[in-house]
Amino acid sequence: MFAYYLRLALASFRRNPGLTALMVFAIALGISVCMITLTSYRAAANNPAGDRSSILFAPSIDNWDPEQPYEQYDKTLAPTMLTYRDAKALYESNIPDRKLIMYKAGGIVSRADKGMEPEYIAARMTTADFFPMFQVPFLYGGSWDGKADIGPEPVVVLSKEMNRKAFGGVNSVGKSIVWHDREFRVIGVLDDFEPLPKYFDVSNGSFTDMEDAYIPFAWGPVLELGSDGNTNCWKTETIDSYKAFLNSECIWFHGWFELRTADKQRAFREFLDNYVVDQKKHGRFPRPLNNYLYDVDGWLKRNKVVEDDNKAVLVMAFAFLAVCLVNTIGLLLAKFLNGAPQSGVRRALGASRRDIFLQHLTESGVVALAGGIVGGLLGVTGIWALRAYYGRFVEDAPKLLPFDEINFVIVVAIAVFAGLIAGLYPAWRIGRAAPASYLKVQ
Amino acid sequence: MEIRPILSALLRNRAGAILVALQIAITLAIVVNAIYVTQQRVEKIGRPTGMDDQNIFSFTVTGFEKNFDFQAMVRDDMAMLRQMPGIVDAAPIRQVPLSGSGSSTGFFSLPNQKGEQSPANYYSTDEHGINTLGTKLSGGATFEPGMIEFRNEDKQGFPATAIISQGLAKALFKDKAALGNTFYDDQSKPYRVVGVIQHIHGSWVGWDKVDRVMLSPLVGPGPGTQYIVRTQPGEIDRVMTATETALRKRDPNRVVGKLRKMSDYKKRSYAGDSFMAVTLTTVTGLVLVFSALGIFGLATFNVNNRTRQIGTRRAVGARKRDIVRHFMTENWMVTTLGVLVGCILALGAGFWLSNQYQMPRLDLYYLLGGVLGLWAVGQFAAWQPSRRAAKVSPAMATRNI
Repeated sequence: MFAYYLRLALASFRRNPGLTALMVFAIALGISVCMITLTSYRAAANNPAGDRSSILFAPSIDNWDPEQPYEQYDKTLAPTMLTYRDAKALYESNIPDRKLIMYKAGGIVSRADKGMEPEYIAARMTTADFFPMFQVPFLYGGSWDGKADIGPEPVVVLSKEMNRKAFGGVNSVGKSIVWHDREFRVIGVLDDFEPLPKYFDVSNGSFTDMEDAYIPFAWGPVLELGSDGNTNCWKTETIDSYKAFLNSECIWFHGWFELRTADKQRAFREFLDNYVVDQKKHGRFPRPLNNYLYDVDGWLKRNKVVEDDNKAVLVMAFAFLAVCLVNTIGLLLAKFLNGAPQSGVRRALGASRRDIFLQHLTESGVVALAGGIVGGLLGVTGIWALRAYYGRFVEDAPKLLPFDEINFVIVVAIAVFAGLIAGLYPAWRIGRAAPASYLKVQ
Repeated sequence: MEIRPILSALLRNRAGAILVALQIAITLAIVVNAIYVTQQRVEKIGRPTGMDDQNIFSFTVTGFEKNFDFQAMVRDDMAMLRQMPGIVDAAPIRQVPLSGSGSSTGFFSLPNQKGEQSPANYYSTDEHGINTLGTKLSGGATFEPGMIEFRNEDKQGFPATAIISQGLAKALFKDKAALGNTFYDDQSKPYRVVGVIQHIHGSWVGWDKVDRVMLSPLVGPGPGTQYIVRTQPGEIDRVMTATETALRKRDPNRVVGKLRKMSDYKKRSYAGDSFMAVTLTTVTGLVLVFSALGIFGLATFNVNNRTRQIGTRRAVGARKRDIVRHFMTENWMVTTLGVLVGCILALGAGFWLSNQYQMPRLDLYYLLGGVLGLWAVGQFAAWQPSRRAAKVSPAMATRNI
């Protein structure tokens, strides 16, 4: 029966090609705008941690200014980075299954044998658990262990791209690079690794490029390396040396803790509170006790990775789609009424109201499917154009507007669903019309 | 005006009228809010930066060899760049305005963190900084060469003199003259104002204090800095290529980063706003076209369905004018129903947007403008079908359709 309805629908399109094209066009335009805004929304709303999202936790403890809160827009929130002292103290906890502290540093990398063009790189200074916690894939070699963190040992893990630049992409494990006048031995090379958004360090940009090298955290203080990213300070204090900087209330570190059970999560929250209460005795943490422990999902929300603009523009796009659909309802109605005499004949020959209704609903669905596909293609073209334009000055444009076939499937599904909704009333109305009145004039 | 017959004619095709009214209602809600938001974004993007931002480019230069002579590098690079053809001026600067990357700290009008207080974006540069940025001084002069301090290590505090923007001057000194006056950092170190910049934007265009800027006569800390270069109008692309070659040739033993135009930084900083403006403008345009089409479609449908009725009216004495007026009024009534509902939707959407997404509350003039605009669009779209209706011959009344 469905095949028959499809044939009738196609016949109907041939009868009224202009009106049909107008309907397809209306839906397509609405869908294309939805496709573009949905793409940018879904890129930001992605949670790349997957099923580990609920066991990885980032602490946010309120060491901020007693005079003003960390965030102006929501006074209850605490800072999203840690001081050196607090990062070190939280790292001492034995509660987590795994733990890491880290920050971003920069410097020029070269090779002692002058085998590469020297280049300024960003390095992630981190403790060893970074690799298992974020499930980092290796191409060659592997990561360092906790022992190398204490020494610290002069070892480095390179990104795939960095290994290509420094060693032509061959297995470089055992070779060395020079960074801040010191030789670091390559012990591992990563495979492609780019979670988007970059959830473990959104403070330095949710879509900024991954670091080129990973180096044991303890080298930071040894080489006296400052942050190559955001540093926020609130307190009036004399900072006349690197040591004073480390001891200051300035925040530039991140900590992540793997807590697999509810008990451990509870215990770690308690640990955070106890730590801050204890620090208050030493005159730190002047604000009221205000600590948070976010899982990955909570962390992305806390940091507003999906910007308000993303949401607002998405809402506008769907409102526009609604207008297109109302328009389509009107057009369908006109078209169906136009073909009413034919329906009258079908009714007179024994088709039930339900048959007529389903036949017209099928026709609506086919129109919507065509509109969805055309709209999806228009949307892809739009994304392509936006990337071409913005890509010239926004390096992250391809990551902010990815080509993702899932988005295409989603919008086509939305189109068909919406088209069926739009077809309900016109199909019902035509199904209800009495056959006799149309037969008279034939 | 004979409202009653129009109304009863309208009610015969309720569904069509309601659909068009609904479409107009949603259209009004979208258009008013979209135009309001777009307007703000366009205004924000169009603000003057106070700099010659179309003719400036910048890049990092970093030394890495042991015992690298940072000061000599800057001195020799600058000597070379400043005499290159097409270059107006060049200067070392730690960070670049409009780039999104910058530093800020708090300043006070009195020592011991007393008096007026204001944060400011600060930029370390030399005596050529002002001219290279293309900013105008409203008072004082640029730094004297003797004021410039070279640093190899990072250190708290700045040299003793400063050039500040009018925005910062106002925040710290209110109505008093800033030039020659002194302000303080949080360690109570004093800074004497030797120049006041008329207007300049700092690094973060989304910051409400983007016009509070301090220039400090400081180069470094080594071993790296950025250079900014200002070119003659139209010369920027040629000069960028020439600069890259010349720097590598002069000394290959340092790393020169990617050369970037300030205009690109500016576009990047406003990319979110321009994306919003472009998307909303597109939606606004399309939705208006769709509404016009909807109205046109309804009017055409009504005219076609009532040819005989129109003929009868003409036959019993209605003038062409009356027919046109009938359809225009009918259409006006549908549009009015739409905009009435639309006002509620628009206000609701505006309230929701400002509540949820920290956008400013919808300005009512925009709503008024939207209502008038949609009335106009409605009448415009109904004009052609109405004219066609008026052309129906009175003889139609006698025909059997």
